[in-house]
Amino acid sequence: MMRLRIGFVLIAMVLSFFGARLVQLQGIDPESYAVRAAAEGAVRIPLPAERGDILDRNGIPLADSIKGTMVIADPVLTADRAPEIARLLSERLSVDYFRTLTALRGRKEGSRYEYVARRVPSTLASDTLAELEEAGYEGISLEDDPIRDYPADDVAANLVGYMGTDEPLGGFERTFDKQLAGVDGEATWQSNSGKGVRIPLQESTLTAAKDGAPLRTTIDRDLQWFTQKVLAEAVQQYRAESGAAVVMDTRTGEILALADVPTFDANEPAEVADEGDLGARSMSETYEPGSVAKVLTAAALIDAGKAFPRQRFRVPPNLARQDRVIGDWFDHGTIRLTLAGIIAQSSNIGTVLAADAFTPVQLVDYLQRFGLGQRTDIGVRGETPGILTPGEAMTSQTKDRVAFGQSLSVNVAQMAAAVNTIANGGVRVSPSLIAGSAVTDDGVTVGTDVATRTRVVSKRAARATAKMMEKVVDPEDGVAPGAQVPGYLVAGKTGTAQRVAPDGTGYDGSTSVSFGGFAPADDPRFTVYVVVHAPRVDGGGGSITGPVFSRIMGYVLGRYGVEPTNGKPSRLPVEW
Amino acid sequence: MSSPALQPRARVTRIAQEAVDRARLTVVPRVRTRAPRVPFVTLVSLVLVGGIVGLLLFNTSMQQASFAASSLEAQADALAAREQTLRMELDELRNPQRVAEEAQRMGMVIPAAPVFLDLETGRTSGVRTPATREDALHLLPPDPIMPAVLAPKPTVVEVPATTPATDDASAAGTGTSRKNRDR
Repeated sequence: MMRLRIGFVLIAMVLSFFGARLVQLQGIDPESYAVRAAAEGAVRIPLPAERGDILDRNGIPLADSIKGTMVIADPVLTADRAPEIARLLSERLSVDYFRTLTALRGRKEGSRYEYVARRVPSTLASDTLAELEEAGYEGISLEDDPIRDYPADDVAANLVGYMGTDEPLGGFERTFDKQLAGVDGEATWQSNSGKGVRIPLQESTLTAAKDGAPLRTTIDRDLQWFTQKVLAEAVQQYRAESGAAVVMDTRTGEILALADVPTFDANEPAEVADEGDLGARSMSETYEPGSVAKVLTAAALIDAGKAFPRQRFRVPPNLARQDRVIGDWFDHGTIRLTLAGIIAQSSNIGTVLAADAFTPVQLVDYLQRFGLGQRTDIGVRGETPGILTPGEAMTSQTKDRVAFGQSLSVNVAQMAAAVNTIANGGVRVSPSLIAGSAVTDDGVTVGTDVATRTRVVSKRAARATAKMMEKVVDPEDGVAPGAQVPGYLVAGKTGTAQRVAPDGTGYDGSTSVSFGGFAPADDPRFTVYVVVHAPRVDGGGGSITGPVFSRIMGYVLGRYGVEPTNGKPSRLPVEW
Repeated sequence: MSSPALQPRARVTRIAQEAVDRARLTVVPRVRTRAPRVPFVTLVSLVLVGGIVGLLLFNTSMQQASFAASSLEAQADALAAREQTLRMELDELRNPQRVAEEAQRMGMVIPAAPVFLDLETGRTSGVRTPATREDALHLLPPDPIMPAVLAPKPTVVEVPATTPATDDASAAGTGTSRKNRDR
């Protein structure tokens, strides 16, 4: 009996211990214990969202993302055998041996986390890690670090932009980051021994990553490459400061190529010589278009019924207007030119005389409808609207200069779209660079879906202007025979404009030479506009940019299978 | 009991009271058939053991599956990464610059204008312009100009001619260099 009692007492004591412990665990601060229990063996894996690709019009990537890895060292474990590990890592991952050695030994006292290499293709990294483990080295681990790759290096780099270490730094990458970035996900589960093996039937959560949506552009990668090469060659040959070229689909306004020279390798943005090359100068810097704008004036005059192609003008050697004398690029006595001849010979005086039929308000109104003075909103960062003085504030002297393309400034997309208006029968299609639609970081919706069409001049006026522009490339009557494309009827216009000094103190003596045109002239399919800034070798729009135009146009016509139309060339008289 | 039933009972009592007394009902002792315990215990233990073993096996197999899933996942990840790397390599190979360099090395150039061949009529349209070496593009960027820091102007030190004019050229040369060294 006694024994039984002692037994009961013992059991009661043990049970009361258990009870006390229960109260301690459950009654006093149960939360912290639960958290500790969950943390023990809980695995949290971030699931990085894959960044959307930037594609060309045919779906070829201009920028794509691949799984990448960062290689991380724990110096506490690696310091002792640093030289051996560093040798292996530097051989396999092509990283600098001495920098790796420093990382493995720890850049700071007591550091346990050092980057050895970033953006390593994960296959290479995991192979290397396996090799290290086999050799018995410890302390190297891998973490996700997606790689952004630009397979064609510098092709369309000025538009596409580039990535910094963690964030987009320019171009479409930055403008459309919201769409491209996606949303990272996360998975948590209970694991044993930290090897990432899930304990079944335990609590686990999964928030799937939402990958970024791809961005489709209207760029044609091969054409963009060709345009860049031909333009770069001209810029180099004429020792020019920079250059830009646009290829546009006449009917849809889609920009097939928008080249900037100098450019940079999007995979190595840090190696660029001048930081200004990282953006799109073609869109962010303005220049005076020069004589290419004469075709806009002429088309407007014909549309308003104030001129016609065969209209006769008596062009004096120079023309005294209020504040200064207007001259032509070539010396001549009094010559007798038709309006077509004024365009073909690119006579400033003739254009001013013809434009006398317009008031400043009328001229500016037309130019505005051609799209000058307003942003094109094609989705390029930092686009300038250019400068076009409002008609009410414009003096007649300024109007004279605006008529032949000085005292107003533009960007290349504006100018290409304006020339394209004449190609497209007088209807201006707003240019676009994004296929479909996308929203910029400023909240503007851009793309082909929101492209607009507005009639600027009548079809008759546009056709008449195109006929006059054919004369520009005529070997006998025109100034730019070099712009011809063998077998095709080409219409175009040269431009040689004085450049305003960077400090804005007036013209500095350098020029911007350009050529804008379209082909086939009687059924236009493509508009090409080329501009070269500050060439140091003497030349004008016809001799420098004409051949560039010709090569690009010849290539794009062949590439898109546009057969020669075998139309009759323009037979407008240039003189009378 | 209802009253008509009392009637026969009274009569019977009267007739054979003794027999009735003798035949008085007594409580029959309950027959306790002791079911054999062994099969039941065996059954229960079997169910219990079976359940536990089953649960254990089930758990083990789930663990196995979990290990297999993890390793397969890792394998899938590695394969996906390899696919992406290969796709990147393919894209690099498709780089128009590389293709153009290769083509140019093989003697191909991009013509100035296209010519079309109609397969039905066999006629061509367009002007046939020969593609010449001049049409070839400069594919590589020009060599960068060496900065002035790295290409200093040669330092020219004029040495007065002190050697006798009678000496031949080679002797004069060695003489000068020796003199230079002496300074």
